[in-house]
Amino acid sequence: MTKHERIALMVVLLLGLSVLTIGTDGFQAFTEEQARTNQLISEQPYLPKVILEDSKARTYSMQELQHNKYLFITFMYTNCATVCPQLERNMQEVYQQLPDTMIKENIQFLSISFDPENDDPKTLEKYRSYFDSDGESWRMARINDKDELNNLLDELGVIVIPDDYGNFQHNSAFYLVNREGSLIDVMDNTEIDQAVERIKSEIGGGSL
Amino acid sequence: MKQLKYGIILYIFLILPPVANLLESIMIFHMHTQMPLLVFTGFLIAPFSQKKFAHFFDKWNQSGVPGIVLVILIWSYWQLPRAMDDALTYNVVEYFKFISLPLLVGVPLRDSWKKLKSTGQYIFLIFIFATLVITGFIYIWIDQQICNNYLIIEQQTLGWGSLAMAACLLLYIGYRLFENDEAF
Repeated sequence: MTKHERIALMVVLLLGLSVLTIGTDGFQAFTEEQARTNQLISEQPYLPKVILEDSKARTYSMQELQHNKYLFITFMYTNCATVCPQLERNMQEVYQQLPDTMIKENIQFLSISFDPENDDPKTLEKYRSYFDSDGESWRMARINDKDELNNLLDELGVIVIPDDYGNFQHNSAFYLVNREGSLIDVMDNTEIDQAVERIKSEIGGGSL
Repeated sequence: MKQLKYGIILYIFLILPPVANLLESIMIFHMHTQMPLLVFTGFLIAPFSQKKFAHFFDKWNQSGVPGIVLVILIWSYWQLPRAMDDALTYNVVEYFKFISLPLLVGVPLRDSWKKLKSTGQYIFLIFIFATLVITGFIYIWIDQQICNNYLIIEQQTLGWGSLAMAACLLLYIGYRLFENDEAF
């Protein structure tokens, strides 16, 4: 190889590796999903204002529900046959593993449906019973206002793509919101123990 | 000069928004049609640029190695699931796709190919084969949505498409090996 070629090789390596580094946030995120999650965790956005309607047909804002507690949120729709039941079952696991006092005083569980047309309070009430949710400390709710719903999904990086058969393809995760209403973590919903530990350490540290 | 003309026509056709949108709306077309065709436009433009910048190519890419390394790195970037998503989300990345695939992959590939010795060509072919097999298996067997803009079913279609391409490439590599055999 000539001297010029060695220089060319260096330039090319530098250019190529820069493209790969920039394109993956320094080899941190190889998928858009990961990039979004990393960004959310570093930005900690506040939840936008939304009005919820729960399985008992009560309506209130997210802030009213939160009432100085942490929020533990998942997004689902009841017609979903694959991901959501698993997601909600995992949520149930987390719910059961947390101490009762913590559930009562420190954290509010909330499953939000992104299919308000089908998931009316009656449907949600039935769905809730499958997972032993009590409808109080763990509520299931829909957001009726389309703009509010989309705004929230957007803010939390929840991607929902309707397919041709009335189903939705969507990403699933556990969202943890602190007492001030800002998102502090997006967790893998299959890592139940990790989520439980995270919540315990967060609440323990926060209330001391 | 004919090639240059066809190259430019094909390029303009590919970047027309309706054409680009259509190809990008289906994952396998995005990966296995739009991107290779963009590289192909670079192929068609290459003889013109080689003639025009003959000195440049001779001086900086005499053995073909820097060129092929550039091709490998840029092509690797476009194999990332995130690159495909980003191209749909950010205009800058989309423009980069339309520029990098012809100019940083197509042109240097054609310039380097003949200069590379047989070994270099095999290394490159095996690299392409390996990326097709690896991404193919990832797209088929990962049960998660890797790209936010595409459904899992499309992802699996792409996976099988990649494996089919890999099989074709394997046939070609085998053919080349045996062809050389007969020369002896």
